[in-house]
Amino acid sequence: MGLVMPLSVCTFSGFFKSFTSPIHVLIPCSEVTSVICGTLHSVDQYLNIKLTDISVTDPEKYPHMLSVKNCFIRGSVVRYVQLPADEVDTQLLQDAARKEALQQKQ
Amino acid sequence: MSSSHNEAIVLIGKSLEDCPLDEDEDAFQGLGEEDEEIDQFNDDTFGSGAVDDDWQEAHERLAELEEKLPAAVNEQTGNGERDEMDLLGDHEENLAERLSKMVIENELEDPAIMRAVQTRPVLQTQPGSLNSSIWDGSEVLRRIRGPLLAQEMPTVSVLEYALPQRPPQGPEDDRDLSERALPRRSTSPVIGSPPVKAVPIGTPPKQMSVPSFNQQILCPKPVHVRPPMPPRYPAPYGERMSPNQLCSVPNSSLLGHPFPPSVPPVLSPLQRAQLLGGAQLQPGRMSPSQFARVPGFVGSPLAAMNPKLLQGRVGQMLPPAPGFRAFFSAPPPATPPPPQQHPPGPGPHLQNLRSQAPVFRPDTTHLHPQHRRLLHQRQQQNRNQHRNLNGAGDRGGHRSSHQDHIRKDPYANLMLQREKDWVSKIQMMQLQSTDPYLDDFYYQNYFEKLEKLSAAEEVQGDGPKKERTKLITPQVAKLEHTYKPVQFEGSLGKLTVSSVNNPRKMIDAVVTSRSEDDETKEKQVRDKRRKTLFIIEKTYSLLLDVEDYERRYLLSLEEERPALMDERKHKICCMYDNLRGKLPGQERPSDDHFVQIMCIRKGKRMVARILPFLSTEQAADILMTTARNLPFLIKKDAQDEVLPCLLSPFSLLLYHLPPVTVTSLLQQLMNLPQSAAAPAPSNPHLSAVLQNKFGLSLLLVVLSRGEDLQSSDPASESAQSNPWTEVMFVATRELLRIPQTGLAKPISIPTNLVSLFSRYVDRQKLNLLETKLQLVQGIR
Repeated sequence: MGLVMPLSVCTFSGFFKSFTSPIHVLIPCSEVTSVICGTLHSVDQYLNIKLTDISVTDPEKYPHMLSVKNCFIRGSVVRYVQLPADEVDTQLLQDAARKEALQQKQ
Repeated sequence: MSSSHNEAIVLIGKSLEDCPLDEDEDAFQGLGEEDEEIDQFNDDTFGSGAVDDDWQEAHERLAELEEKLPAAVNEQTGNGERDEMDLLGDHEENLAERLSKMVIENELEDPAIMRAVQTRPVLQTQPGSLNSSIWDGSEVLRRIRGPLLAQEMPTVSVLEYALPQRPPQGPEDDRDLSERALPRRSTSPVIGSPPVKAVPIGTPPKQMSVPSFNQQILCPKPVHVRPPMPPRYPAPYGERMSPNQLCSVPNSSLLGHPFPPSVPPVLSPLQRAQLLGGAQLQPGRMSPSQFARVPGFVGSPLAAMNPKLLQGRVGQMLPPAPGFRAFFSAPPPATPPPPQQHPPGPGPHLQNLRSQAPVFRPDTTHLHPQHRRLLHQRQQQNRNQHRNLNGAGDRGGHRSSHQDHIRKDPYANLMLQREKDWVSKIQMMQLQSTDPYLDDFYYQNYFEKLEKLSAAEEVQGDGPKKERTKLITPQVAKLEHTYKPVQFEGSLGKLTVSSVNNPRKMIDAVVTSRSEDDETKEKQVRDKRRKTLFIIEKTYSLLLDVEDYERRYLLSLEEERPALMDERKHKICCMYDNLRGKLPGQERPSDDHFVQIMCIRKGKRMVARILPFLSTEQAADILMTTARNLPFLIKKDAQDEVLPCLLSPFSLLLYHLPPVTVTSLLQQLMNLPQSAAAPAPSNPHLSAVLQNKFGLSLLLVVLSRGEDLQSSDPASESAQSNPWTEVMFVATRELLRIPQTGLAKPISIPTNLVSLFSRYVDRQKLNLLETKLQLVQGIR
């Protein structure tokens, strides 16, 4: 499942593209927070996330999600995104952010 | 003007008052004149004037034009358009001209305006100035054969490949009755009023976008729209080469490696919309979407196709918003690729491939090869898992259920193919990039690193060598165009035309700097830290630039290279100055600046990265300063524990240092007394160093290096009075004195330390040292 997404100016779009294994997305819905775990399908400039093969960490609490396989999550409601640590290169990410800042200044 | 107006009013008033009876007629006449005008307007709008023409005739005329046009397009583009114009709307044309004359700036480059207005007041067909947009037909873009890029990078317009092929000889078979030309309305031009359009803004264009464009000006005209053509399979080779075929030119620098035939990019329905779904392509051009359109089409005859495929991101090839020009490479070569490389049609392949297992794998052509490999590995694993769970029988069922699904889908075909194209185009426009390395820095570098790692591992393991495929992305030429807002002739002052590309200034913010009088000590400290952070960031940008020079060097021309090297040297000097805190007039810069930088975690990492770029003297200076201030730095590093990252660059540096430097370094590191006099009762410096992982490791490395130098140099071996030897005596004495408690565990232990110490101490003390410093392998 390749990721197709815009090469927008935002560094994090490119950052999200590089993932291949499942990630966790923590969603708040007012008081209710649910953690959805799935494989990242695509991200856009607003950081809306599409996940495939999702699973909810607490199925008893959210039984309505049992049948859902793919989902689209609006970027603004995401509180955290938990990523596999071994797939993240923080140094490179910092560099990318610095380059982008430089670009924007110019 | 106002006076005459007043006069008119007065006259009428007079006519009413003074001559009530006789001149009523006049008055009425005056009013009657007005009435006449009103009648005229009404007539124009609703009555006979509105239907000037028999719409059927107009339609026929247009149809004739259609047939003429494709031929005309290839020869001379502008004339074709103008012919249409003349045939259909003389006075509209005049109006357009009049309007265009009013606009001073002819280059309406604001895409927002252009799209909203859908007007081309200036009908120019010079290649240089034609603004393209997503609405343009492929014909328009083919006309744009701009100058070659200096970089000799053949770029592609994916608009070519994205848009459905305009059938050059299109018989008007199925004309939809509902899409006849609208009756012409007469014109009542009001400048500034919104254009009256036959189709609302935002409707995807119909097939015939070129002539319709040129016809639509401010006032509506009958627009002939052709009914949608059914999607076609790739025409047999023989039509003119598309730019995409130019990519198959052998010497094209876009092509790196042949596309690995083991990866068929078959689309899943999910991916289809994200790619250029409806592309009708010339053969020889790879498009997964072509195959996706055939239901049940499985796998791909990729191996049969032209193997030279653009590995780059599919989406990067789209032209951007208007104002951008797609540059084509040199005219296509004379020899087309051999015909057997393209499939005659999907038909014969269907049989072959249907027998295979249906593998709907999404398109991954745009991904980095390493990424693709990882993904496929994962997919294989998943598939294996599924296979184990479900058994082989599932596949047949899966296939048929999928076909059922296609047949019974009530939501299929809600969108026409061109509408899907339109949406995809909009999405893909975001993907185009002039410099993918810069725009997508993280992704590119991450996978490059992964590849390097795997390459390194393979070299060690002597495994099978994988193909080092590089990610080649097509680069699009970006033209810098400055947007100038439209100005109208004869207007008083500048009318503010603000759009998304030319926003109005809302706030006038003035920057005021605070006075420095009432700064407290805390604030000073904070400011100092901020200043340090700022310097670190500045140096970091320099560092990133310098790291980039290698790539730029490779891309640049021969003449530019010396200049690049100079730039690089200059930047490195700047970096060093930043690190050491250059102060004019001070011969010996204080350590303070550097120490401040080293107190911050990212400062340390940065120094570790900068060190390889510095000259030996500069780097040695840094090393000495570090050694001098090591206890302080160790204290500050207690939380971060980042100092060990400095060990490898320092070790590397040590190999370049002369013995003298190594000796003095050792002295600094251990805080050895200068003379051989009786040492101080305690050596907290040394204790601190030894109790820290980094400190101890560094010390061991220095000792090892010294030993190497000593043993390799036969002259100094014999000489007894050697600075190094002297220092070593003192050093071993110190080391013996240090209590064992709390000694750190070093990162690595050099092997020659035992032999080193054996020179200077007797056996008993040697054992002691070994135990203390855990120099012997077994003890740990």
